[in-house]
Amino acid sequence: MEYRLKIGEDTVPVEFETKDENGINLSMEENEYDINYSRISDNQIHLSVNGQRVNAYVAKTEQGKTIFINGVSYLVQDADDLERKRSKRKGGQDMPTEITPATPSVVIAIPVEIGQAVKKGQVVIILSAMKMEISLNSPYDGTITAINAAEGDNVSPGVMLVEIEEAPKENDPKES
Amino acid sequence: MFKKILIANRGEIARRVITTCREMGIAVVSVYSDVDEKAIHVLEADEAVCLGDAEPAQSYLNMDKIIQAAKETGAEAIHPGYGFLAENADFAARCEQEGIKFIGPSSQVIKDLGDKITARQIMTKGGVPVIPGMTESNPDPDFIAQEAEKIGYPVLIKASAGGGGKGIRIVESAETIKESCQAASREAMTAFGDGTIYLEKFFDTAKHIEFQILADQHGKTIHLMERECSIQRRHQKIIEESPSGALDDDLRAKMGEAAVAAAKASGYQNAGTVEFLLDKDKNFYFLEVNTRLQVEHPVTEMITGVDLVRQQLEIAAGNPLALNQEDIQIRGHAIECRVYAEDPENGFFPSPGVIEFMREPKGPGIRNDCGVYSGFEVPVNYDPILSKLIVHAENREASTLRMIKALKDYIILGIKTPISFLIEVLQSEPYTSGEVYTDFIETHFTDWKPKLDELALARIAYIVDDLAGGKKNSNFASAESKEISPFQTLGNWRL
Repeated sequence: MEYRLKIGEDTVPVEFETKDENGINLSMEENEYDINYSRISDNQIHLSVNGQRVNAYVAKTEQGKTIFINGVSYLVQDADDLERKRSKRKGGQDMPTEITPATPSVVIAIPVEIGQAVKKGQVVIILSAMKMEISLNSPYDGTITAINAAEGDNVSPGVMLVEIEEAPKENDPKES
Repeated sequence: MFKKILIANRGEIARRVITTCREMGIAVVSVYSDVDEKAIHVLEADEAVCLGDAEPAQSYLNMDKIIQAAKETGAEAIHPGYGFLAENADFAARCEQEGIKFIGPSSQVIKDLGDKITARQIMTKGGVPVIPGMTESNPDPDFIAQEAEKIGYPVLIKASAGGGGKGIRIVESAETIKESCQAASREAMTAFGDGTIYLEKFFDTAKHIEFQILADQHGKTIHLMERECSIQRRHQKIIEESPSGALDDDLRAKMGEAAVAAAKASGYQNAGTVEFLLDKDKNFYFLEVNTRLQVEHPVTEMITGVDLVRQQLEIAAGNPLALNQEDIQIRGHAIECRVYAEDPENGFFPSPGVIEFMREPKGPGIRNDCGVYSGFEVPVNYDPILSKLIVHAENREASTLRMIKALKDYIILGIKTPISFLIEVLQSEPYTSGEVYTDFIETHFTDWKPKLDELALARIAYIVDDLAGGKKNSNFASAESKEISPFQTLGNWRL
């Protein structure tokens, strides 16, 4: 079996084969690992890795798995999964063009209205999360086409709060 | 003693007060907002009253609803915790009018000490050293500029009302003083409805040292030694300890006397904290009095063995302080780390959400004042504190090592926490050598990223988690996960 696992910017291929019911032999970055394991709970596994005993705590999240070992937490992602998801989204736009909160928040104010023209960087919605105020800006010049939240609403990441249609780019703004 | 009290707070501090009330046989009324129906302070209360909407103004800050809840349930006193209404003089006055005992000082004392200029005047009269600067407000920027020349730059422009770092400007030179005055005054006006500002000398490498005091209703006031709270982010403390390595017995005695004098000068009753700034030459200056139980009170409880909440209740009930100053001795060293729902890699950005799984550290000398549990959804509406982890050991070195071990054993999955950040701070050379000043985080930990030294193990764990399948052995394993059931806390029993 092979995985390609990403932590931060680094994607590393990992190969392994089953040794017995609770063991695998694994190779990664030119190192060999003899691994035995047991599941302790839904969120805890106990490992022996080349004789070193390790408790790892695991939670599945939307982005991948959060793995907590010895006081440090790691976000580990399956690189193949990520690529599949990205191709589904088509085009693979990496620009943050969606007006959605980074964390669950409460809407404080929406200083724009439908049909209004906005400039790139203009504040379109103000949120509050745990006593901190956060404003979200328009990623480009454009026109507000929809507002999907109201003041006082609880909103979550992934929800498009404000939709903005990008203004057509003027190729030659200073035509002589 | 009271038979029943209401706690006008939530989270770990409400639970902390409940614990002592239980020990003393006092019934507890909790109040809560819609999003806190399953919060721990509600689950553990004798009675709970829903205040309504999650918005603080509609719930935990709503004086009418809280007073009404106290009357309906027959609570004789209200413990305000910290934050929310704890230092609100109007609320204390309302309680006084309604015949409900406010567990804290009188509304007049809260009002006097809440205004920084008034407090400076009281302390000056009481012989307590204050930071060089103005003791009367004067809105004239020219006058402030002259005063700044007198005390020497850098200076700090401060709003007389409020707190939380708002309306504060550090001014390095005469060129920017006038515009800084205007900006600070404007900000104070917006935040507190009061644009009054004044001037103080600014100390860039100072320590934040505070003294715990207790004052009964019969004129007796004692102090319970100091806490050092120099490690802060965004003007909020994150690591506190007691005793402070910066004080020797002589200085400790002098500052303790000043703290008691400060309490007496203001007519203080109940538990309070006198904050001082300690400069490089070991001169100390009065900063302010916090008229409430502090977040970091547990480190004092650990080294003195005194339950501060119990003392608060005894004092509020009118009982004389049984403790004398000479009873208060420092035993060992205690450290507290605040565990917030926030992302230290991303400017300590808030990280609310569902706690998928948590396991609290245990062991000798470890205490976790915790307001959350596995499966609880941390709401977006309130302060992001989850718990305070406190350790106690024989000396600073031992308690630092104990804290690092406890943090490594503290598992919180589902939301981001500063646990790995706290571990690195405690392991850092400036911390272990005691070179800790209020600019510690900016100086040593700007743009911090975690040291990811177990990348291979993390990848292995990812794969093994897939292979090992889920929900095996779930009978014994889920003891601390997901749902709280009475059977988890049940001891031996038979029919």
